[in-house]
Amino acid sequence: MRISMRIRFAIPCMAFVLFMCAAITPAQAVPPIQQQRLPNGMRVLLMEAHNVPMVSMKLSLAGGSRFDAAGKGGTASLLADMISDHTARHAHPVWDDLLDADAIKLGAGAGRDDFSLGLTVLKDALKPGLDAFSEALLQPGWDQKRFAILKHDAISAARKSREEPGVRAAQAAAALLFAHHPYGHRPGGTVKSLQRIKLDDLKALYAAQVKPSGAVLAVSGDITMAELLPLLKSRLKGWRGKPATGLMDISRPAGVAGKQADVALPTTQMLVQLLRLGPSRSDADFFPAFVLNHILGSGGFASRLMQEVREDRGLVYGVYSYFQPLAAPGPFVITLQTRADQAKEAESVVRHVLSDMAAGHISNKQLKAATENLTGSFAQRMDSNRERVGLISMIGLYNLPLDYLSSWTARVQAVTLAQVKAQAAKYLKPEAWNRVRVGPKSALN
Amino acid sequence: MPLRLIFVLSLLTGVFASASGAIAADGKLQEVTFKNGAKLIVEEDHSAPVAMVQVWLKVGGRDEVPGKTGLAHVFEHMMFKGSKKLAAGEFSKRIAAMGGRDNAFTTTDYTAFFETVPAARVGEVIGMEAERFSHLALRDKDYQKEIRVIMEERRMRTEDDPNSHMFEELSAVSLRLHPYRNPVIGWMQDLKKLSIEDVRAFYKLHYVPGNATVVVVGDVDFKQVKKRVAATFGKMKARPIAPRFNPTEPEPFGPKRIEVKLPAQLPMLAVTIPVPVWKPGHNDIEAASLALATHILSGGRSGRMNRQLVDEQRLAFSVGAGYDEASMGLDLWYAYGMLGPKQTTAAFEKGLWTLLDQMAKTPVSAKELAAAKRNITAAEVFAQDSLYLRAKRIGHLEVVGIGANNRDKWLQAIGRVTPADIQQAVARWLRRDRSTTGILTPEAKS
Repeated sequence: MRISMRIRFAIPCMAFVLFMCAAITPAQAVPPIQQQRLPNGMRVLLMEAHNVPMVSMKLSLAGGSRFDAAGKGGTASLLADMISDHTARHAHPVWDDLLDADAIKLGAGAGRDDFSLGLTVLKDALKPGLDAFSEALLQPGWDQKRFAILKHDAISAARKSREEPGVRAAQAAAALLFAHHPYGHRPGGTVKSLQRIKLDDLKALYAAQVKPSGAVLAVSGDITMAELLPLLKSRLKGWRGKPATGLMDISRPAGVAGKQADVALPTTQMLVQLLRLGPSRSDADFFPAFVLNHILGSGGFASRLMQEVREDRGLVYGVYSYFQPLAAPGPFVITLQTRADQAKEAESVVRHVLSDMAAGHISNKQLKAATENLTGSFAQRMDSNRERVGLISMIGLYNLPLDYLSSWTARVQAVTLAQVKAQAAKYLKPEAWNRVRVGPKSALN
Repeated sequence: MPLRLIFVLSLLTGVFASASGAIAADGKLQEVTFKNGAKLIVEEDHSAPVAMVQVWLKVGGRDEVPGKTGLAHVFEHMMFKGSKKLAAGEFSKRIAAMGGRDNAFTTTDYTAFFETVPAARVGEVIGMEAERFSHLALRDKDYQKEIRVIMEERRMRTEDDPNSHMFEELSAVSLRLHPYRNPVIGWMQDLKKLSIEDVRAFYKLHYVPGNATVVVVGDVDFKQVKKRVAATFGKMKARPIAPRFNPTEPEPFGPKRIEVKLPAQLPMLAVTIPVPVWKPGHNDIEAASLALATHILSGGRSGRMNRQLVDEQRLAFSVGAGYDEASMGLDLWYAYGMLGPKQTTAAFEKGLWTLLDQMAKTPVSAKELAAAKRNITAAEVFAQDSLYLRAKRIGHLEVVGIGANNRDKWLQAIGRVTPADIQQAVARWLRRDRSTTGILTPEAKS
């Protein structure tokens, strides 16, 4: 049996790294992304895969945590819980029985930019699956009792998560990096912000943002566009309108440098995060920055940080860097955990790597290794329906060209050493980074 | 909020974080055993030009001697620290350069090393795996660094995670003899005492060809892979295989309980019970009944624990239960509840046992059973979507002694279970007298 529980905060962290890597390159021919637009403006992007009798899909739209009202962080996330919990036609327990009877996996979620509703079904349960999907989307139940229960449980979970160094760091990091900008809180919210949320807040967010114009339905699986479209049209025909705020209607965060925040937690390790703003999804230098990050700390054991901090010195189990490309510049994060009395040493190694790379000490050999890894690993990053749906919805939501995947190899390979060095000079100067530490009070000096 | 209990330790966290087992679309396994005992199992899937290579060893935490816990996992780390032909770290760098990903994991029952690579590179990867398998460097200076990494891993996973820490203590108290009582990562005091000599002795004893199973799933040709494995793993000198430690756990005489006091925000309660594992042809219905009972309790959206304990009685904010039919010797079945600020462990515990007692007294409804079967079957189809999970299911069944060629029989057994079977299995095994209860009590914070 299982003796240790997986550290929950580590999963989103790594999942995110994979998502970034997932945005990679076709070494082989990629199945094309087929596109159709419904009369209501929603785009349908499909990649066919007929090897397993299943279909996965995800609807994404501009409705994530950046749309939470001030002081009410967690609204979008609670809306996600609520929308998948019951509908106007089916009360909570009946709804669950209905979905389980056909093994329909339906779930909603909220990121910083996006609100999403996902569905995974066996091919033979596609129709009831789409019925459930459209019913959840278009006929929310707004049951006050269920809202009270979901809210209460979310508050308990938020309280429990205060045990987790990663959650505490993410909270401190969002506040430090974005202050009052819409990205300035974790999508899940906090005990206090969740307590302030009322059912009307969810209804208001739903009414303002959950609209088809600009929305993207990404689909991967055992289905063709000709089969899919009529099924969607008949179910989504009543859905109309434009969101009050578009995905790209967001101000640029101001950015901060050299700031620090410490959180005391009675742990044996210190979690150290260095943070700054990274590129946005539409940044003209996205590819050079992406390759730079791979060399720095997202390339697994081959990365500079992993080499210096873990392999050479044995200071950590893991050290990673990642940036979250959003509609506006999102966080660029370096994170590690080490025995509290080693934190200063580990941080100074990281800062040394930053300053070394910022000064242009990056070799052609390192660039080549990163490019080979990125381009070669393309096929395996896309070898499941779940991964493909994630990738296609990102392409759709941020309006990237549909040949994004097929042009990836070329664009990664076109990145030059001079470009990577320019990005290193732009992003990696140690003084431009901020710091969050979570650990025992005695070591926070 | 899924809170999955796991016992797998990986070299890197979170690379693969998905669910259960799998059965292939065409379901065809091709296998061969070489004279020295090394085995190869291949499942061809030509839908994408990639392949998953996994090397499975019948070596895990259970093969450690007392005082040297954590050794199998330490060893897993050392496999990346260089061999005769490869410098420390070189293995991963080569895999990365071919556009691959590599990692490894250790449990009480096995150690596995795996690589996802472009299909054209499979032969090369098998060669690299065989080379480090037989010519590992095991240098003390590498060991001294790596053992520090592992202590950090333990601090991160266990010391600083109150739930995980509580489960470690609970497992240790639940069993008297069976090796699932020890943490795979090892007790910290043992980690501090291990030496490179321990690692070398472990290598010599356990890394023998008869303990190795190579699993390849993906865009490959069996004949070619077979040739390659024959020339590498198949050519190694045969060596004796050490018997595995798989004792019979004494039957419990009554309920046990522990309280673990740690800095935490909220309490949690968990119950463990030793239950039988699947022995194909011997207890198919009993094992499948336990799996279905567990699903009816905590699977899908409508699981009874969620519906009754969380939604109706408001006794916890998050619950779960788990059973792994492919454990070795026995499985430590578990159920837990995470409690909110005004919820008490006593009320949750009572509610949980009321549910279990009810299942022992009253047959589950036909509708509930049908949904559970449908969901378990669907999960197997969804899992086919991942080469990693498919290969993992094959390797896992093989090394715990169930046999990969029995994998289809599991769903067949699930299909045959009746409400009366479930009632009987719950009444026989999921009893308070056989259980251990663990309570995490938040300690006043410093």
